Amino acid sequence: MKLTRRELAAALAVTAIPPAAAQTEQRDEMQIARERLKSNSDQLAQQQVPMAIEPAFHFTA
Amino acid sequence: MAAIPTDVFFASIPELNQRLVAKEFKAEELARAFALRLADLGPRYNALALPLHQEALRQGKAVDQDLKIDRRRGPLQGIPFGVKDLLSFAGQPTAWGAKPYAGQVFDYNATVVDQLFGVGAILTGKLAMVELAGGGGYRMASASVSGPGLNPWDRSRWSGGSSSGSAAAVAAGLVTFSIGSETSGSIITPASYCGVTALRPTYGLVSRHGAMALSWTLDKLGPFARSAEECGLILHVIAGADSKDPGSANTSFYYTPSYARPFKDLKVGYAAVDFADRAEEPARAAFQAALIALKESGVTLVETRLPQFPYGPILSTILAGEQASVFEPLIASGKVDQLSDKAQIAGLKASLELPAKDYLKAMRLRSLIQQDFRQLFTQVDVLLAPGRPGPATPIDQPLDQGGFQPAAGTPPGLQGIIQAGNLAGLPALVLPCGFAGNLPVALQLVGAPLSENLLLAIGRDFQKRTDWHKRRPPPL
Repeated sequence: MKLTRRELAAALAVTAIPPAAAQTEQRDEMQIARERLKSNSDQLAQQQVPMAIEPAFHFTA
Repeated sequence: MAAIPTDVFFASIPELNQRLVAKEFKAEELARAFALRLADLGPRYNALALPLHQEALRQGKAVDQDLKIDRRRGPLQGIPFGVKDLLSFAGQPTAWGAKPYAGQVFDYNATVVDQLFGVGAILTGKLAMVELAGGGGYRMASASVSGPGLNPWDRSRWSGGSSSGSAAAVAAGLVTFSIGSETSGSIITPASYCGVTALRPTYGLVSRHGAMALSWTLDKLGPFARSAEECGLILHVIAGADSKDPGSANTSFYYTPSYARPFKDLKVGYAAVDFADRAEEPARAAFQAALIALKESGVTLVETRLPQFPYGPILSTILAGEQASVFEPLIASGKVDQLSDKAQIAGLKASLELPAKDYLKAMRLRSLIQQDFRQLFTQVDVLLAPGRPGPATPIDQPLDQGGFQPAAGTPPGLQGIIQAGNLAGLPALVLPCGFAGNLPVALQLVGAPLSENLLLAIGRDFQKRTDWHKRRPPPL
C-alpha cells in the first residue's frame, strides 16, 4: 500500500495518541496512590505511641 | 485400569486415602484423573497456572510402589493437590501470577512442597493467583496473567484473591486440597467467596521458604480444603520450624482437636451487627442461621469490640514499605509496567516514596495492637465474624467501588478484623455457612496465636451439624 506523506503523518499522529493517554492515566493513578500514602500517613500521625514502644519486628544474631 | 468414579473429585482426604489403601483404584489412576480434570476445567475458571501431568503420574507410580509394600505415609498419601503459583517447584516455571516473571524457574522446591511430597501427596498443577499476590493494590479482578479468577458457583462472579486458583480449584473439585497464601485477606476472601474451608495459620507456623515474598512480616501460607478436619490434617504436615525461613516461629504443630477444651467453657466474641446491619441483605438469613448452629455446640457468644486502631492504614503502610523493598528491582527496571492492573503499577511505584518514619510508626503501633489482642484473648477464647459481609462480587466490578456500605451510623462491629488479625499474626479459620442466592457465604473464626487446634475443633463440630462444606457448585 502506498501512502502520501500527508496520509503517513496522519497515521503516525493517530498511533501516537494512545501512549500519551496512557501516560496521563498513569499520572492520575500515581496521584491516587500518593494521596493514599498521604492519607495513611495522616492517620498514623494522629496515633500517640509511647517512646518505649519499639517496632514489632525483632532481629536475632 | 479402574475407571475413576466422578464422586472422587469431591471426596474428602480420609475417604480418598481409605479407597486407595483398599485398592479401589491406583494412585497413578487417581493422579491421571485429577490432572486431566484440572487441565480441562481449570482454564475455564482461570484457575490453572501450570499443569503438571507427567510429574503427577510419576508421583502416583511412586505412591503405588509404597502401598504395594505397605509403606504408609499418613492420610495425605496419594492425594492430589495444587499450590498457588507463588511457590517454587524445581525446574518448572513459577510466574507469581505476573507477566514480568513468566518463565522464571527455580532449582529448589518450596519447603511446603517438599513436606507434602514427604507424605506422598501428589502435585497435579500450580494454581492461578492475582499478580504478585496483589502487591501495590489492584483495582480489577483481571489483575493476573491468567485472567480474572472466575467463581465456580457463578462464573460471572469473582473467585476472590489473591489465592484465586487455590480456592476455585478446591470448590470445583479440580484438586482435593491446595496451598495458598495470605498477607491481608488472600486466604479469607477467596475461601469465603468460593465456599471452601481454609486456614490462615499463625504467623511463622508454616515455612515460607520458596514462596514469593510480598511482606516479610505479614506473609503466611495455609491450606484450602473441604472441611476443618482436612485443614487440620494438612497443617499437621506443613507446620513446623524451618531454619530457611527467618520468620519461622520455631514451633511444631500436632493436630489434636479431640483435646480441645469443652465447648461449654468457651467464650466466642462477636458483634451482632456484623451479622445484621453490616452484612449484605441477601446474606443475613444465612449468617443468622449460622449463629444458631454455632450456639448449639454449647459455646457462649459474647458481644465484643476490637481494640481501636486504624488497622487499614497501619497494614497498608507496612505493606507499602516492605513491597517497595521486595520489588524495587522490578520497579527500577521498568518491567513493572508489564503488570495488568494500572492501579497496582502505580501503587508499587508510589510505595518507593513511603517515608521511613511512617513504616516505623506503623510497626510500633503493631506492637500496641499485639498487646491489646493479648488482653482481649483473656476475655474471650475466639473471635467470630463473617468471612466477608456478602457473597462474591461481579467479575467486572472495580474492587474500590460499588461495594456494600452499611447505613451511616451503623456501629463498627469487628470491622477491620482481617487487617487486625494479620497485623497481630493471628490464625483464622473460614467455614462455609450458607448461601446468598446461589453464592456461598462464610464465617471466620480468629484465635490467639497458636490456637489452631481450638479453631479446628470448633470448625469440626460446626461441620458435623451443617453440610454447607459438602455442597458442590453446578457442573460446567
